[in-house]
Amino acid sequence: MSADPSDRDQDKAQAGEYALGLLEPAEAAAFEARLVQDPDLRALLATWADDFAAFTDDIPQVAPPAHLKAALETALFPSSSRNSARFGWIMGGLLAASLAVVLLLNAGAFAPRGPGMTAMIAAENGAMLVAAAYDATDGTLTLERTAGAAAPGRALELWLIAQDNAPVSLGVLTDDTRTTVTVPAALRAQMSGSTLAISDEPSGGSPTGAPTGAVLAAGAVTPA
Amino acid sequence: MTQGEIDTLIARIATGDRRAFGALYDCTSSKLFGICLRVLNDRGEAEEVLQEVFVKVWNSAKRYRAGGFSPMTWLITIARNAAIDRLRKRRAGQTDLNTVRALVDPAPGPEAQAVASGERAQLAGCLNTLDPARAEAVRRAYLEGETYDELARRFAVPVNTMRTWLRRSLLKLKECLSQ
Repeated sequence: MSADPSDRDQDKAQAGEYALGLLEPAEAAAFEARLVQDPDLRALLATWADDFAAFTDDIPQVAPPAHLKAALETALFPSSSRNSARFGWIMGGLLAASLAVVLLLNAGAFAPRGPGMTAMIAAENGAMLVAAAYDATDGTLTLERTAGAAAPGRALELWLIAQDNAPVSLGVLTDDTRTTVTVPAALRAQMSGSTLAISDEPSGGSPTGAPTGAVLAAGAVTPA
Repeated sequence: MTQGEIDTLIARIATGDRRAFGALYDCTSSKLFGICLRVLNDRGEAEEVLQEVFVKVWNSAKRYRAGGFSPMTWLITIARNAAIDRLRKRRAGQTDLNTVRALVDPAPGPEAQAVASGERAQLAGCLNTLDPARAEAVRRAYLEGETYDELARRFAVPVNTMRTWLRRSLLKLKECLSQ
């Protein structure tokens, strides 16, 4: 802050002009550059903003239409609220999957050909259900989708999550209800105790190599 | 909802807390929508701008502290600036003329002292100490987004005269508000 009172007055007036939006773009840019450096100038602007906010005191409040909030949240959080608690939700999925595996084994309809493992990749609400059977002899993972599908123009991508590692893509599921994928040799040792998850992705799969959309279903891989 | 509670909600939004965002929307959207409607006088545009406002709130909550604005003033300023921005674009026939500057976005630095809102009620009283035409010019700049050019035409004075008037008025106003 300058000790010169006239400079201080100049700052006061200019901060007020800035708060009102009266400065020319170049002046405003110069003022903003000074703001970054000068806490006194920031405090001056903050008091003006506070003073001028009183212009809105008498403006009646009007409730916006109810659909606006939902539209806003959809725009800001496109992958729905599930995404924010993805890990917790996967853990919930594991519990559901352990129950499902029991049912699957009892049914006996879907099991690996050789020594292997199974998983029930399930949505918490049952909207998606994919049974997985893993054949450890050749690394083949056979998937049978009995509920759920990709949204129009979207794809389902399968992920292997081994312990605390980041999800590794096992590929995009085809539209067929039965799909076979080959687990890369390097990942086969990690299958036991891992989690399989399916996420909603752009057509063709995640552009980033990591899940970008909501996790739609998950399940633990357990010995068959 | 007190200023302290709103301050806490903004701080939580800065960490990505969506529930805090929903709560802030619930308790402040009517106030901010009222401002958008008052400035724009068009429901459809006001709805669009209100969404822009809350997107800005979500995206800039991390920078809220650095500006040193009190919480409602921060929200009101975002809403007012976004609405004025839209109004000026409408006036300029959709060209980006003299856009209202975005909210202050200072780099990390010493936090400005938070401002108490105690002096807000003084605004009306202090505006009354100004020449009525000059008080009206300040009000029009804030609520109608009128520029120096527009104010000069309205009050039939040269632009430089308008600028001098308004700066002097701001100093006088500040002196009164600081008492």
